[in-house]
Amino acid sequence: MRILIVEDDVATRQFIVKGLAALGHQISSSSDGRDGLFQATDGRYDALIVDRLLPGLDGLSLLRMLRAAGNRTPVLMLTAVAGIADRVEGLESGADDYLVKPFAFSELAARVHALGRRPALQAEPQQRLIIGDVELDLARRSVQRAGRRILLQPREFALLAELMRNADRVMTRTMLLERVWDFDFDPRTNIVETHLSRLRAKLNAGGEPDPIETLRGAGYRYRGDE
Amino acid sequence: MKPLLSTLWRSTFGLVALVSLGLALSALLIGFVVYEVAHEALEEQLDHRIAAETRALLVENGRGGVDEVARAIRQREAASSGDSLAYRLVDHTGQTLAGSLDAPVPAAPGYLEHLVDKRGDRVSQALTTALADGSRLVVAADRAALNETDETILTITAIAFAAMLLIGIAGAWTVGSVTRTRLREIDSAAQAIIDGDLSRRMPLDGSGSEFDRVSATLNRMLERIAALLDNLRQVSSDVAHDLRTPLTRLNNRLDEALSTTDEADRQLAIEAALADSRELLDLFAALLRISEVEALAVRRHFSEVALGALLDELVDAYLPDIEASGHRLQCEIEAGVVVPGDRRLLRQLIANLLDNTLRHTPAGTTISVRLSAVDDHAAITIGDDGPGVAANELPRLFQRFARSERSRHTAGSGLGLALVAAIATAHRGRVSATSNGGFSITVELPER
Repeated sequence: MRILIVEDDVATRQFIVKGLAALGHQISSSSDGRDGLFQATDGRYDALIVDRLLPGLDGLSLLRMLRAAGNRTPVLMLTAVAGIADRVEGLESGADDYLVKPFAFSELAARVHALGRRPALQAEPQQRLIIGDVELDLARRSVQRAGRRILLQPREFALLAELMRNADRVMTRTMLLERVWDFDFDPRTNIVETHLSRLRAKLNAGGEPDPIETLRGAGYRYRGDE
Repeated sequence: MKPLLSTLWRSTFGLVALVSLGLALSALLIGFVVYEVAHEALEEQLDHRIAAETRALLVENGRGGVDEVARAIRQREAASSGDSLAYRLVDHTGQTLAGSLDAPVPAAPGYLEHLVDKRGDRVSQALTTALADGSRLVVAADRAALNETDETILTITAIAFAAMLLIGIAGAWTVGSVTRTRLREIDSAAQAIIDGDLSRRMPLDGSGSEFDRVSATLNRMLERIAALLDNLRQVSSDVAHDLRTPLTRLNNRLDEALSTTDEADRQLAIEAALADSRELLDLFAALLRISEVEALAVRRHFSEVALGALLDELVDAYLPDIEASGHRLQCEIEAGVVVPGDRRLLRQLIANLLDNTLRHTPAGTTISVRLSAVDDHAAITIGDDGPGVAANELPRLFQRFARSERSRHTAGSGLGLALVAAIATAHRGRVSATSNGGFSITVELPER
């Protein structure tokens, strides 16, 4: 992916640049809001990582101007404050995802990956997700595996849909909590784990291989078609 | 002059002095008016007297001519005592016919206010009348009494003015110095506090005076500040204390990673160190969250939140956890309870309460979730029939890093309930904990 990073803190910028470059991405960076907006409007990026507080032009304004100019490049916004208000404001300004500093690199990497190819998905909302022998119907809220009907609780269904929609991409525990349960905090209990184990039990009841991989310390990944 | 006046107004001494000066000047003005009025009235009275006497003598003149007038004058003078009227009757040549008045006869007839005698020590008020045969009659009244009255009034006025000025200045000085003394006490107390004696309070004398009331208010303010500082101090020392353990552990793990030669061991140590640092970051995130909620800046995001639906949603999220850990669940959720609030914060409040119960009670415990509307409050109660918490631990439960006996051996930051309390407060609500055959926490939120 071609990624632009607009971040004024040198240490954070280098940490992100190094990490993402090591994963094989092409990275450009800017330390100033105006320069960042100028670079971003080139429109040749697959994703932008924008800090909220920037010299020259703050992240929110950058984002609004970018969107006003019709640029739909997915944006991950970074912020140093865990403000509830900030989060809402950031998403309302047109950010696709929001990450609070400090963060683990694996969390950032997972979110950047999830941003890629997102607009295409949003452009044509799918009625059905079919991967291998699992078929999920979003409209009828039903799931079948190898022709066998599987009855899921609403949250289990939402969890499976989120995983399948992001097949082959790592979903962290935090991302799942945000997207499936709308939790913007991390409960100390095992909500994700217990729901996943129930989901797996129902999904694999016919003795099929488990399509959901657990990546220790990173998150979960739904195995896509080869 | 103007700046001096405006600064005078602002000091107690100046204010009282100015008021006294105003009063003294008023006394002076009143004295002057009294003098004028009394003076005029007395002069008029003298005029009346001499006019009446002149009329009486003219009656004598009509009866027997000038000789009769002279006779009457002699008769009156013989009968008179010191301060009565004085007369002089002269013929057309200026020869005195009768009367002892030792002053020149005015040429023109009519009233004269100041008729000075020949020796120059007596001033009289006189009426000169021309008689038919060319002789002139002067009737005069001594002005000494009038002058005496005038003098008395002026003297009294001057004394009153001086006295009022003196009393005023003395009063101003007294009031000013009393004020200064009281303010100096307050000032020195404030200075002591500035210099670091935070336990110092403003002096009170129990009189209920305005100084006492201000001092009492200042003292309440100081109490509040002291309590906040205490809290801050407690929190910082708690933070330092609670960070030391995971930081030491992190340090040891990194040490271990450096010193080991086994690659697999090193990998394990680094992973453990990462987990430790993540725990530290979580701790900071929780602390920041509490500060943010406590700053009450969240209220502008309030909307109507249906608590029943929110509780259902969370119970649904936690049910697998509750069942997997061998707990039972009992729900009594009243429908239609709506409060103004921040949905995300309220969700976290309920989640923290459920987390808390779930982690600190043994398998087999029944967790109860209740929502009811009481008067104008919504009450959320999340409780259990587990072992409970000692009564002496209840008051500290909602403070940061509070660890009760039952949570001592389970993982957790000790910040969950502090956040619950902060969120409830941000919603103008209250939290309370009871331990009576189990343990329960009730959050009351105002419905309006």
